[in-house]
Parts: sequence; structure tokens; C-alpha cells
Amino acid sequence: MNHTDLFPLYLTLKVSIIATLFSFFVGLLMAWILAKKDFFLKNFIDAIVMQPLIIPPTVLGYYLLVVLGRNGPIGRFLENVFGVTVVFTWKGAVIAAVVASIPLFIKPARASIESVDINIENAARLLGKSEFKVFTSVTLPLAKRGIIAGTAMAFARSMGDFGTTLMVAGNIPQKTQTISIAIYDAVQANNIPLANTLVLIITAFSISVLFWVNKFTKGKY
Amino acid sequence: MLFETGKPDVETDLKTCFYIFYKDLSMLIITRITLTLLFLLFPLSAAFSEELLVGAASDLLFVFSEMGKTFESETGNRIIFTFGSTGMLAEQIRQGAPYDIFAAADDRYIMGLKNQNLLKNDSIRNYAGGRLVIAYNKNVKPVTTLRDLLVKDIKSIAIANPDHAPYGIAAKEFLIRAGLWDKIKSKLILGENVRQALQFIQTGNADAGIIALSIAKVPEVNYITISEELHPPINQTMAILKDTSKQKVAKEFIDFVCSKKGKAMLEEYGYKTK
Repeated sequence: MNHTDLFPLYLTLKVSIIATLFSFFVGLLMAWILAKKDFFLKNFIDAIVMQPLIIPPTVLGYYLLVVLGRNGPIGRFLENVFGVTVVFTWKGAVIAAVVASIPLFIKPARASIESVDINIENAARLLGKSEFKVFTSVTLPLAKRGIIAGTAMAFARSMGDFGTTLMVAGNIPQKTQTISIAIYDAVQANNIPLANTLVLIITAFSISVLFWVNKFTKGKY
Repeated sequence: MLFETGKPDVETDLKTCFYIFYKDLSMLIITRITLTLLFLLFPLSAAFSEELLVGAASDLLFVFSEMGKTFESETGNRIIFTFGSTGMLAEQIRQGAPYDIFAAADDRYIMGLKNQNLLKNDSIRNYAGGRLVIAYNKNVKPVTTLRDLLVKDIKSIAIANPDHAPYGIAAKEFLIRAGLWDKIKSKLILGENVRQALQFIQTGNADAGIIALSIAKVPEVNYITISEELHPPINQTMAILKDTSKQKVAKEFIDFVCSKKGKAMLEEYGYKTK
């Protein structure tokens, strides 16, 4: 193991930390809207947001490639206006990870926001708190468990994404090769020792994430 | 009782003490985490002068890895290869993949990209001719003739996917010309690229296969070379991408591949050079 061999680990951590931050803030807003508001086509939008859990990752990656690629509407806009290329860079990997993992955040976050007793929120409103203040000081602390669980799940999912990332970010060593893609590459090249090491690292990570989630949300042991 | 003085409140003091301790500790941890994050977000910059990204056909895996090291030590530039099937790499380039050089195993893909105005036209170079072999795992009964591929012992035959991998196209064409395609079709296992086809044979998951000569020299595998006239020519061609900002270094690498030294290395791995 040398520095170059460990690059996929650094990249995976970087991508999944940034992706989790995005998933957290965007997902929290969406979870709150879906939990508290009623609007036209709400169930349809919910179904769209949950799609990444159900459709194959390669299909998801293909959608992103079509939209974000240099000939896609958003891809062309970003390139012409900001001079930013998303596909086949680590930014593409972040977007792939956000889209793939955000439902895993929204689902438990929404459920726990819905389960907060409306009377407690109303009490805060009665005391003259603004809607934002009600959310941050009443709803959020009471929905803490679901939100923490969602964050950890989204983080773990971001770390493990393969199909979507491969389609959007490709497999460029030292650039976009995340740990799951590096494992695929190592197996293809018959580099079994490297594959084994990376597999052990990611397995240990995944188990410890779920272990901490359980500890936070279920009980002492 | 509440305002009693003179008697120190041990419990409160201890609490304060712990509070300060934990506050300091958490500050320390937060600083550490922030520093680690910063370190992760701003990747370490390498000491190389320029960094070249090369999308290369996977039959080049061994020879280019060696050439890359020589080129790095001679020029001080860094070179990063992405190996994959030529068709897949061409598709990535169409979608905007940031390679500086595309080393294809089949000139038809280079011409396709040229027609779409994605390559620097005067940089296109034919650098080698590829050869096919019949490879088989050392644990199966040796394959000495083409007919041996039909026997019952050979249960699976690996080739690269002929939809987008040039060595797969060549292998399919070879089998059609030999009149064996229909008989062998049900035994075929398709690798994503020729390197994966080799991996299937190396691990014994395929008994035999038709792959590139340049990657066949591995300990787990024996092979017999297929005569050149029996398969379509494999014209390995490379070019610089139009969008690259590293024209100069890219040209240096192509010149290096086509130099006497580069050609000698290619020949050593079984390629034909003009």
C-alpha cells in the first residue's frame, strides 16, 4: 500500500462528506416540506424523489449523464456560463452520490418530523416564535434520531455508490476513481491483494457507520 | 442553607472542572476534524511538472504501464492511464471526458471522433498492429488447434465484448471466418474489455479465450498465436484530443511511443510496428 493506492479512500471520503452535507441541507428542507405541507402533486414528487432507491443505478447514472453531459441542457449551461465541466470529474461523483443517497436521508427524516407532536410546536407558536425558530428549536431536536440515522445512512450510501458514479464520473485513476470503482478495477486487473485491502477497508467503514447509528438511535449496546 | 458560606461545594466545583475540561476537549476535537476536512478537500499537489491523462485500450495495460514509468523518469511529467475498451473510451470522450490522449486499439473509433471534430487532426498516428492469440488456463487440457475449442472439456470461452471492444470484434470476425462462430457462441463469456476476458481465463472462470497477444504472457495462462492472415488487421491508432491544454507534453508522449525505444517496447509485447 502506498500513497497512490490509498487515493481512492481519500477521494471517497471527500466525495461522501460533501455529498452528505448537500443531502443533509437539501434533504432536510424537502423532508420538512413533505412532512408539513400539502400541495398539488405532492405524492408524485415524493415518488420522483424516492426513485433512486428503486431504479437501477446505471439508469440513474444515464439520466444524469444525459442532463449534465456536455451536450445536455444543464451541462451545456454550466460549461458556457461558469466554465465548469461536471461529468468525469470528482464533482460528477458528488452529484451522483447526492442523488443516489438523498432518499435514504429524506425517508427517516420525514418520518421523524411527522411524528413530532403538533401541540408542542403550537405551544412554541403561541409563545410568539417564528416558523423558522419553531423548526430549529422544537421540531429539529425532537426529530433528532431520525435525522441522525438518515445522515449516517446517506453517508454510507455515498461511500458505496458504484453504478451511478461510474456512468457520471468514469474510472480515471487519481481523479475520479472512488473506492468501489477501484475495487472493480483491481479485480479486472487481477490485482487481488489491492482488491482485498480495499474491500476490508470499506466493509469496516460500513459496519462501524451502522453500529454508531444503532447506538445513537436504539440504545446503549 | 442555600447561601451557606465557608463550606466548599465540592460537587459544583467538580462539575465546573469537568465542564471546562470537556469544553476544551470538544474544541480540540472540532479543530482536529476541521483540519482533517481541509486536508481532504484540498488534495495534495504532486511534485510533477505536468500531468497527462491518457485513455488507453486495455490491451495496452502492460506495455503502457512500463512505457509510462520510463516516460515519467525521462521527462519528469506524470502520466495517468485509464484502461478500458476502445468503444467505451470513445463514448466517454464524446460526453466530455478530460483525457489528453486517446490510444485506441481500432482506427475506426479514432476516425469517428475525428469526424465529430474532437481530435487534433495532425496528431493522429498509427502506432502498432495488434495480434490475436488463443489462450487457455494451465489447468485445462492444452489447446493446440482451433478444433480443441469445440471439445466438451472447454466449457467456456472468454472474448472481449464485440459491441465496443476491438479485440472482441477481431475475435468474432476470426471465429466467423473459421466457421466456428455458431458452434462456439453458446460457450462465450463476454468481458467488458480484453483485459477482463484475460482475467476470466486467469482465474479459471473461463477455460479458454481469444485475447490480445500483448497481455497473454501471465503465469496462469498458456497461449498459441493466431496467424495474422486469419484475423482482420488490428490497427492501433492514437491521437491528441482537441480540448486539451497540454498539447506539448501530449505530443511528447506520442513521439515517445513512436520512437525507436517505444517501438522496441511494443515489439517486446508482441505488437507489430512499421
